[in-house]
Amino acid sequence: MRILWRILLAIGLPVVLVAGWWFDSAGSEDFYQPALSTIVDAFGRTWTWEMFQEQVFPSLWRLLAGYFLAVLLGVALGALIGLSRSSRQVLEPVLEFLRAFPPPVLVPIAILLAGIGDRTKILVIVFGCVWPVLLNTIEGVRARDEVLSDTCRTYRITGLLRLRHLVLRAASPQIVTGARQALPLAIILMVISEMMAANEGLGFTVLQFQRGFQIPEMWSGVLLLGLIGIVLSLLFRLAERSLLGWYHGQRAGQREF
Amino acid sequence: MRRPLIALFTAVALLATAACGDSSDDNSAAPAASGKPDAVNAGVIAILDVAPIYLGKEKGFFSKRGIDLTLTTAQGGAAIVPAVLSGQYQFGFSNAVSLLLAKSQNAPLKVVCNGNNSTGVADDFAGLFVKPDSPIQSPKDLVGKTVAANTLKNIVDTSVRASVKKDGGDPSQVKFTELPFPEQVGALQAGRVDAIFVVEPFQQAAIAAGMRKIASSYVDAAPNLTVALYFTSAKLAGENPDLVKRFTEAMQESLAYADSHGDEVRDIIGTYTKIDPATRAKMTLPKWPADINRESVDALATAAVTDGLLTQKPDVAGLLP
Amino acid sequence: MVSVAARRPRVTGRRYRSVTLGALGLIGFGLVLEVAPRIGVVPIDFAPPTSQILVTLVEQLDQGSFWTALLRTLTTWASGLAIAVVAGAVIGVLLGSLPILRAATATTIEFLRPIPSVALIPLVIVLYGTTPRSTITLVVYAAFWQMLIQVMHGVADVDPVALDTARSFRLGPWAKVRYVVWPSALPYVMTGLRLAAAVALILTITGELVIGSPGLGKEIDTAQQSNEVRTVYALILVTGVLGVLINLVIRRGERALLSWHPANRAEKGAA
Repeated sequence: MRILWRILLAIGLPVVLVAGWWFDSAGSEDFYQPALSTIVDAFGRTWTWEMFQEQVFPSLWRLLAGYFLAVLLGVALGALIGLSRSSRQVLEPVLEFLRAFPPPVLVPIAILLAGIGDRTKILVIVFGCVWPVLLNTIEGVRARDEVLSDTCRTYRITGLLRLRHLVLRAASPQIVTGARQALPLAIILMVISEMMAANEGLGFTVLQFQRGFQIPEMWSGVLLLGLIGIVLSLLFRLAERSLLGWYHGQRAGQREF
Repeated sequence: MRRPLIALFTAVALLATAACGDSSDDNSAAPAASGKPDAVNAGVIAILDVAPIYLGKEKGFFSKRGIDLTLTTAQGGAAIVPAVLSGQYQFGFSNAVSLLLAKSQNAPLKVVCNGNNSTGVADDFAGLFVKPDSPIQSPKDLVGKTVAANTLKNIVDTSVRASVKKDGGDPSQVKFTELPFPEQVGALQAGRVDAIFVVEPFQQAAIAAGMRKIASSYVDAAPNLTVALYFTSAKLAGENPDLVKRFTEAMQESLAYADSHGDEVRDIIGTYTKIDPATRAKMTLPKWPADINRESVDALATAAVTDGLLTQKPDVAGLLP
Repeated sequence: MVSVAARRPRVTGRRYRSVTLGALGLIGFGLVLEVAPRIGVVPIDFAPPTSQILVTLVEQLDQGSFWTALLRTLTTWASGLAIAVVAGAVIGVLLGSLPILRAATATTIEFLRPIPSVALIPLVIVLYGTTPRSTITLVVYAAFWQMLIQVMHGVADVDPVALDTARSFRLGPWAKVRYVVWPSALPYVMTGLRLAAAVALILTITGELVIGSPGLGKEIDTAQQSNEVRTVYALILVTGVLGVLINLVIRRGERALLSWHPANRAEKGAA
C-alpha cells in the first residue's frame, strides 16, 4: 500500500502537467510549438536503437567522464583550499573570475588548447561542472564542527586519517549537494560542448534538427535530455543513500516520529 | 508576493504549456491607412552581406515609402526565423539553403527579395582555404578530409560539395565539422582541420595568415549564385501585401545603390560591425543585384537533395516571390 | 547581536589582508596569461597577451556603446536573479518543510532541471523575440533551480533537536521559521544566492550572445563576427571582473549575516 502511495506521489504532478500540455497543444498550427502528439510521434521515429548507439552513447560516456573528473577535481581542490584560509583568499577572486566565463566562449578556448575531439568536450564539461563541487566542498570543509576538530587534535589524529575521517566526512553532506547540482550542469555542458567542432552526439543531433528546421524532432531530443536527467538523478539518489547513510540515519534518529 | 509566483509559473510553463506564443506577442504592422509610417522590425546578422539595408535606411529609401525601419542583429537564422514566424520581426535575412530547408519542413515563410550574390568570379567574398604547405591542391583532394564550416546544413557545406563535385571528386566523402568563423583560421594553422571555408572579413584574416585559396565555392555552386534572401512570414504576406510590396521596392533600390557605391558600403559596414578600417578597405564585397537569380536557387535545391540534406525537392516557386 | 564597533578593529586588519591576497592572486594569473602567448604555449593571434587585452579594454571604455551594453547586462542580470531568488526561496521553504510536497514534486523537478536553457532558446524567442525579456526568462529558469535546491536542502537539514526545542516552547509556524529554520538554513541559502548569482551572470551573457538581446554578450558576438579577437577577450575580461565583483559583494553580505556561524568564527578565532 505504501509503495502505491509513493508511486502516486512520484508521478502525480508530472501526469497532470503532461496531460495539460497534451490537450493545450493539440491541433497546434504553430511551427515552433507543435502538438505534443506530434512530438511523441517524432520521438518514436527518431530515437531508434541505432541512434542510441551512434549518437546518444558517445555523448553519455563523455558526460560521465567529465562529471566524475569534475567531482574528483572539485573535492581534491576544494579540500586543499578550504583547509587553508590564506590560499582561499588568494585563489577565490581568480576562481570567481574563471567561473564567470560564459560556456559558449569556453568552447573556443578549449579548442585552442585541446583541439577537436572527445578530449575538448570532456574538458568543457569539467571546466563548467567543477564549480558547484568546488565551492560546496570549500564551504563544507570550512564549517566543520569545532568540537570534532578539537577532539581530533587531542587524539593527535593528523594527516590523511584526519582528512578522511574528519574533514571529508564532515563536509560530505555539502559535497554531495555540490555534486547534485553539478549533474544537470553536466548535461547542459554536454550539449554546449557539441555545439561546436562536433560531428556526432546527442547535443549535436538536437542542434542539427534545429538547423534543418525539423522542429518536432528537435523537441523530441529535448524530451530525451530530460529523461536522461531523471535517470541520472535516480542513480545519484541511490548512490547518495549508501554514501550518506550514516548522516540520514543520524538525522532520523534525532527526530521523533 | 504575487509577482515571483507568476514569474515561476512562466518559467515552468516554458515546458509545460504550448499555446503561450500564439496570441499575445503578435505585433504585426498595421496597414498604413492614415499616413503614419509602419513600424517595421527586420532581423539581420551583423555581417557585410546586409550593408544595403543599412545603407538604404540611412538614405531614406524606407522612410520615403512610409516604413519606419528598425534593424536588429541576431546571431543567425536560428534566432531570426522563429522571430519572423511569431511576428516579432516583420522581415528577416537568411541564406538560401536554410530557407529551402525550412520550406521543405512546411515553415510558413515567403521570400520577398534578394539578399546578396556571389561576385561570380574567382575573387569572391568567400573562399576555400588550406595551409600553404598542404598536399591538397584542388577541391577533389578534399575527399576523406575534414572541412570546417561555420554552420552545417546551409549554403556553406552545399557550396563546398559543389566545388568538389565540379572538380571531379565524390562530395559525400568529404567530412564537415561545425566551427565558428573566428576559430577557423587558428584551427587550420594548428592542423585540426584540413580546409576551411570563410567569408569576409575572415577571408582577409586567412590571407594575412598565409593560407592558400583553392576554390571560390560560391562561384562553383552556380553562376552568380544568390547567397541569401530577405523573407517574411506567410501570414504577413497574406495580411499586408502592400507593406511587403513597399519593403521590397525599398530593398531593391537599396541593393542597386549599394552595388554601385562601394565606398559608402565600406563606411556603413563600420557602423554596425567592429571590423577595422584597414580590413574594410581590403575586403571583397558581394554583388547586390536587385533581382533574385532563380536558377541558382533552383540549383541549390537540387544539390540539397543530391547531398542528402533533403529527401525531396522543396517548392522553390512557392517560396520565391 | 554583538556591537559592531567592538568588533571592528580586529576585522579591519584581516580584511585588508584578504583583499591584498586576492589581488595578488589575480595579478599572478594575469602574468601567466601575459607570458603564455608570448612564449608560444598558445597561438598569439588567437589568444592575445594580457597587456594587449588591457589596452583594447581601455579603448572600449571610451565608447558609449560599451557602457550602454554593460548597464543593460547588469539590469537583465539583476532582474532575472531577483525573480529567481525570491521564487526559489519561497518555494524552497515550502518544499523543504513539507515532505509530502517534496515527494510530489520530486520527479517534476528532476525532469525540468537538466533541460539545457539553450534548448529553450527557440521557444523563448517565439515568446519574447530578441528583447532582454527572453534572456531574463532564461536567467530565471537556470538560477531558480540553484536557489531552490539549496534552500530545500537547507530547510530540510535543520537540526531536529532545535525543532523539538521550538515545539516545546510552543513557537508558532511563523516564529519557528524565523528563529529556527531560517538561521539554520541561512548558510545554504547564502551559498544558493552566490551560485544563483554566478549562474545568472553566465546565462545573461550566454543569452545575449546566442539570442542577440542587447548587452555585453551581444557585443562579444558582434566582435566575434568581425574577427576582432582582442575586443572579444577584452569584453570577456569585463565579464570575469563582473563575476569577481558580484562574488565580493555577496561574500560581504554573507560575512555580515553569518558572523555567528562556526565557519566564520573558526577562521576569526585561532590563527
